[in-house]
Amino acid sequence: MNRIASRRGRLLGLALAGISFFSVAAASAGEISVWVWDKAFNGDTMREAGALYTADHPDVTFNVDDSASQDDIRAKLQTQLLAGSTDGLPDIVLIQDDIAQKYLQSFPGSFEPLSDSIDMSVFAPYKVAAATYDGKSYSLPFDSGVTGLFYRSDYLEAAGFKAADLKDITWDRLVEIGTEVKAKTGHLLLDLDLNDTGVIRMMMQSAGQWYFNADGSLHVIDNAPLKKALETYAKFYTAGLVKPVSGWAEYTGTFTSGEVAAVPVGVWITATIKANADQSGKWAVAPIPRLDMEGSVNASNQGGSSWYVLSSSDNKAEAIDFLKTVWAGNKDFYQDILIKRGAVGSLLAAREGDAYKASDDFFGGAPVWQDFSTWLSQIPSVDYGTFTAEVDSAVQAQLPGIIAGGDIDAALQAINDQAQQQMQ
Amino acid sequence: MTSTTMAENTGSAATKVGVATSAAPFRLIRRGLVYLLLSIAAFISVFPFYWMIVGATNLSADVIRGKATLGGALFTNAATFFAQVDAPRIFFNSAFIAVVATALTLVISSLAGYGFEMFRSRVRERIFGLLLLLLSIPFAAMMVPLFVMFSQAKLVNTYVAVILPTVASIFIIFYFRQATKAFPTELRDAAKIDGLKEWQIFVFVYLPVMRSTYAAATIIVFMANWNNYLWPLIVLQTAENKTITLILSALTSAYTPDYGMILFGTVLATLPTLIIFFLLQRRFVEGMLGAVK
Repeated sequence: MNRIASRRGRLLGLALAGISFFSVAAASAGEISVWVWDKAFNGDTMREAGALYTADHPDVTFNVDDSASQDDIRAKLQTQLLAGSTDGLPDIVLIQDDIAQKYLQSFPGSFEPLSDSIDMSVFAPYKVAAATYDGKSYSLPFDSGVTGLFYRSDYLEAAGFKAADLKDITWDRLVEIGTEVKAKTGHLLLDLDLNDTGVIRMMMQSAGQWYFNADGSLHVIDNAPLKKALETYAKFYTAGLVKPVSGWAEYTGTFTSGEVAAVPVGVWITATIKANADQSGKWAVAPIPRLDMEGSVNASNQGGSSWYVLSSSDNKAEAIDFLKTVWAGNKDFYQDILIKRGAVGSLLAAREGDAYKASDDFFGGAPVWQDFSTWLSQIPSVDYGTFTAEVDSAVQAQLPGIIAGGDIDAALQAINDQAQQQMQ
Repeated sequence: MTSTTMAENTGSAATKVGVATSAAPFRLIRRGLVYLLLSIAAFISVFPFYWMIVGATNLSADVIRGKATLGGALFTNAATFFAQVDAPRIFFNSAFIAVVATALTLVISSLAGYGFEMFRSRVRERIFGLLLLLLSIPFAAMMVPLFVMFSQAKLVNTYVAVILPTVASIFIIFYFRQATKAFPTELRDAAKIDGLKEWQIFVFVYLPVMRSTYAAATIIVFMANWNNYLWPLIVLQTAENKTITLILSALTSAYTPDYGMILFGTVLATLPTLIIFFLLQRRFVEGMLGAVK
């Protein structure tokens, strides 16, 4: 008996395995497949957009796949486009803005130019610029990485600072404030990870500069905003205001546990901060500080991603029409994803909605979303180029020397040399 | 004369005593140091396991805070994990791929190892040398051509695509060939006299004798397949075909990772390799030592 049962079990197992052993997954007609990398954030947002579209177009369904990390998606896209084989690639894929140019320039013809059928002027200009190549824009801008200075209003108040004291300040002024907060409350100003260049990049972009010239060549040695950013970065350390951390878990853990007083970061961190309900009312958001130089503004960006339609897609027309209808036209949808997912979209008109006008008790009753959308429209556009990752790692290599008081010009030279080598 | 000999005698006796008395604490210190070093090494290798198990019982916030004691959130984490991951399907994928790939690898690679050692010729030695040379090519360099091949064969996103490239493992062929060197040729000669054909010798003589080698190879191959990451990542496309390693990697990259839940998944993913190892542990050690009974 037992043996027969187990044999039957074995057969069943084999049959089950056979189902997908030889079968190739073919996207069925009318099903739009999408690759995203975070179930709760961009995954559920896309699912909701899909549901809105399916309600009016019952013949179109959506398959949103969140089973791969962002690095995994990059590896797969790169391998397949390189191999010239588009089997199993999705119809729509999410790509982070600072890597987009690499795909657009390395694999011309692989993505659909969306500016042919969608009016791009309704989106934040810097998002459109990030996906523009050869006069055409290829992405439907999704979440914005508009930055803000999130800070513990209770700590700052204890040190005698009010919201107005943090409005439109420079980074140098923030160092002074941080020094006073440390002296009066014992809390350090911020936590930084030497393997993350986020803060340096947002400082640089606030002055409308990036690592590259318009022709794609390196712009490092005489890049004044970058130099100023590195000097500012060193100031945090020499003033003793930094809690050094390593890795994402420690980075977020340090400010959510109340150890440091502030965190300059993209708006997408809101959900992580608000996850600690016991800190409600103790946080506030100020405009991101600017560099103490001509041309730098109190608005910048960190991260953010956009939707791309692959030219290999069998459902191109449906996919583009979907993006146009929901993502480029439905203001209410943007209110919904802001409330439910904390996603700040790039559609400029969305700020007229109720959700954007509402105040948030977690942040002391301030209209933070209205603020963010104001800053969003002020972010200077930059060209992220194709080698941002390479220059980033060159910058990281110099950070330990810079915070130890090393010469900034020598560091810039070293960054330039290392990046130059990797770009060949 | 006598006094000097006396002096010499006492002197040597004294030194002997001195050596004996000072050697004991010295040996103790040395042993203590050895144990200390071994303890540190053991701690370093065991701590990640401890952290993983403790983390699986704590909430994400506690994991981030560095809480290193058992918590009460095991069932919460399990519930989140099973809600977010289609665990039966994913574990079935991993298990199926690992078991089939291990069985095929053992059959093919042990046959090849046996063949290379038993039927030597200059040409075969050249081929074997070439195979060893191939070991030095990193997989990343072969990935794109391999993908093109599988894509043309319409096998992308299938188990076959994951299993096939691994079954002729050069390292395992090499491992079996080395082990076969210790296989007593007299046994093969005797079997031949008894009238056994070559395949019968392989199945009825070689296989039982080389049990330990097979056991060790099973552990190595099973672990490699269970933990395989890069190639399955490239070739498996849809969520329902993915393996547990790929799913765990995706969970960690969320904007707000739930570390308790991820560590719970990691514990689950570690269990099969642990079980296989403990089942075959004794044979594994024998196999590594190259013992032939």
